[in-house]
Amino acid sequence: MSDYDVIIVGAGLGGGIAAGVLAEAGQRVLLLERGHDLSYPAIPADHLRNHRLALYGDNTTADPAGHPRVFLDSAHPEHPRIVRPHDSAYNLNAFTVGGGARVWGMQAWRFHPDDFRMASRYGVPEGSSLADWPLSYDELAPFYERAEHEIGVAGDHARDTHAPRARDFPMPPVPLNAQGAWLARGAAALGWPAFTPPLAVNTTPHLGRAACIQCNQCIGFACPTDSKNGSHNTLLPRALATGRCELITRAHAARILTDASGRATGVEFFAPAAPDSAQIERRTARAKTIIIASGAIETARLLQLSASSLHPHGLGNHSGHLGRHLQGHYYPTAFGIMPRDAVGERTQFGPGVCIGTTRFNHGNPGVIGGAMLANDFVKLPIIAWRSMLPPDTPRWGLANKHALRDLYWRVVDVKGPVQEIPSPDSRVTLDPTVRDRFGLPVARLSGTTHPETVRTAEFIRHRAEDWLRASGAERVWSWPPELKLSAGQHQAGTCRMSADPRDGVTDRWGRVHGHDNVFLTDGSLHVTNGGFNPALTIMALAFRTAAHLAAPR
Amino acid sequence: MPPTPSQLAALRALLDRLIPADEFPGALAADTDNYIVHQLTGDCAAESSALLLGLAQLDAEAAARHGADHNFSTLASSEQDALLAALEQNRPATAWPAEISASAFFNRMVELAHEGFYADPANGGNRDAVSWRMLGYDPRTGRPSA
Repeated sequence: MSDYDVIIVGAGLGGGIAAGVLAEAGQRVLLLERGHDLSYPAIPADHLRNHRLALYGDNTTADPAGHPRVFLDSAHPEHPRIVRPHDSAYNLNAFTVGGGARVWGMQAWRFHPDDFRMASRYGVPEGSSLADWPLSYDELAPFYERAEHEIGVAGDHARDTHAPRARDFPMPPVPLNAQGAWLARGAAALGWPAFTPPLAVNTTPHLGRAACIQCNQCIGFACPTDSKNGSHNTLLPRALATGRCELITRAHAARILTDASGRATGVEFFAPAAPDSAQIERRTARAKTIIIASGAIETARLLQLSASSLHPHGLGNHSGHLGRHLQGHYYPTAFGIMPRDAVGERTQFGPGVCIGTTRFNHGNPGVIGGAMLANDFVKLPIIAWRSMLPPDTPRWGLANKHALRDLYWRVVDVKGPVQEIPSPDSRVTLDPTVRDRFGLPVARLSGTTHPETVRTAEFIRHRAEDWLRASGAERVWSWPPELKLSAGQHQAGTCRMSADPRDGVTDRWGRVHGHDNVFLTDGSLHVTNGGFNPALTIMALAFRTAAHLAAPR
Repeated sequence: MPPTPSQLAALRALLDRLIPADEFPGALAADTDNYIVHQLTGDCAAESSALLLGLAQLDAEAAARHGADHNFSTLASSEQDALLAALEQNRPATAWPAEISASAFFNRMVELAHEGFYADPANGGNRDAVSWRMLGYDPRTGRPSA
C-alpha cells in the first residue's frame, strides 16, 4: 500500500520538472524540499550575502547552522575542514524551492553532440574516468526542445548551430550591450562565429509572465519581474495546479527505504510537524517510485545514507562508482580594458551575458575537449572592486578609487566552462565523524579533477585573451589555472549513467542499477559535463525520465 | 565587541586614507565606519578582538615614528599614508600583537572598508548609494529607453 505514486526529493530544476510531468500525467506526487518556498522579497538583494558573492552568508539558506560539509584539500589532506553553506569549499547549493534557478545566470545551452561521446572521440587519458554517455544527443534533442519551450529560453536559432535543433527558440535573444557589440567586432576580425547565448529569461512576455527589464542585479539574486525562468515558475506551479502534488518544505530526506529485492518502498525524512511549526519530527512516506533530485553532492550522499545490510555501500554502489567522478567546470577567465570610445552612453545593461562562441568546444589541437566562451554578467560594484581591477592597481587610496571609477564599465571579462576530464578520485563520501543537526553523516568532498582538465583550461584561457586583444583591448590579463577539486553550482557526475552496471550508478533512464523503482533527475547523472553551463541538460534529462515514467505500461 | 573611543578615532582616520574624498565622497561621508562597527559585533565578531588590537597598534605606530605626543589620527595625511604603506608591506615600526600581523590587519581593513563603501546601503555604509552614483551603477535600471 503506497501513500503516493511518486516521492521526489528536491524541488529544484530536475525535481520540479519531474513533479510537473508526473502530476499532469495523473500520478500522486509528494515533493520534498529541504528549503523554504521563498518569495521574491525573501531572497535579499544583499551585495555581501548572495549566491554570487557569499562573504558572510547567502540569500537562500534559511537555516545554515547544522548543515556543514567537510572539505579535504588535496594540498592539506591531513586537515579536513568543516565548511558552512556559504564557504566556497562547501561547493554551494541554493536551498530553496526552485533550487539554483531562483538566482542563476540563466545560460541554457544544449550540449554539443560530441559531449556525449568524449571517450570515443578523444580516447581515455591514463588515470581519468572519461566515458561516453549511454545515450546520444539525438535521443535527448526532443527533450532539450521541450525544456526550451516549457521553461522558456531566449536564443538565436539562426546562429546557435553547434547542436542541430528542429524548432526555433520561443523568444528572441537578449540584445547586445556595449561589451557585446565590441566583442562581436573582435570575433569578426578573428573569423570566429559568435552569437548571443541562449538564456532562460523572458525577452518577451511568455507563459503569462513579463519580459526582463534588464536590471543590473541579476545573477545571484531573484528576479523582480519573475522573468528568470526555472521550474519554480513553470512546471512546479503546473504540478500544484493539478491538485495531485503535495509539496512539503523544510523536509530533509534521511534515507531511501528498500526491501529484500532492492526495490524502494519509501522515504524517511525529517520535517516540521505542521507547515510553520518549529517542532521537527521523523516521518516516513511510501510510494511506488522514488526520484532523487538533490544535486550531485546531496544525491550521492543520500544514496550512501540509504545503505542497508544488502547494500552496505549505498544504493546503486555495487560497482563502486557512487560519489565518484565529481566534476563541475573550470572557468578560465581573461580580462581586458575596452577603449573609452567603445563604452558608449550608458549602453551597459543586464543581465550582461550577450555574446559567445562555440568555436572552441571541440577540435582544439593538443587538448581534450574545450569550452564555450562568453562575456559575463554586469558585476556588482563590490565584486568589480574585488576581482576586476588590473593586478598592479593599488588596493587603497585615491589611486584605487580613481581606477575603479575609470574602469568599472570598461573592464570586460571573457570566460568559458571547460569540459572536465573526470577523475574517480574526485568524490563525495560520508564523513566518518561530522554529523548534521539530525545526526546524519555529512558529505565529505575530496580529490581533484584530472590534470588534462588543466591543460584544456590553459588553452581556453589563451583563446579568451585572443578575443579581447582582437577586439582592441588596451590591456589584457589573466591567471593560469591550477589543479583542484571543482564542483560548485555546476556539480555533476557522482551517479553517472552507464549502459553496463559495472561502469556507473544508473541506466540510460536515470534508473539506479539494482533498484528498479529509484530514479535520479539531476546533474549527478552526467557522465561528462559538457563545455557549457549544464542546467538545460539537467532539465532535458528530467523531462525525458519523467516522460518515460509517465508513459502507460 | 565595539571599539573604544580611541580605537574609533583611529578607525575613522584609517578609513579617510583608505578611501579619501575627492570630487566624490570618501569612506567617512559614506558611513563606512558605521558598516565596520556593525560588523565587529556581527559577522566579524570572531576577528573583532584582533582587529581592535590592530587599531590600537596604529596609535603605537604613530608614536614610534613621530613621537609619543602623536597618535594615528593626528598625523598629516602624507605621514599616515607612509605608515600604512609600511604596514601593507609588513614593515611595522613596533612589535605587533601575536593575534594579528601588520599586513594581515591592514589587508583586512582594506577589504572591510571597500565592502562598506561599495556594497548596498542596507549594509550600513555607502550612504545614499554615493559610490554607486560615482560609478554610474544603478541596480534597478537597465537599458535606457531609446
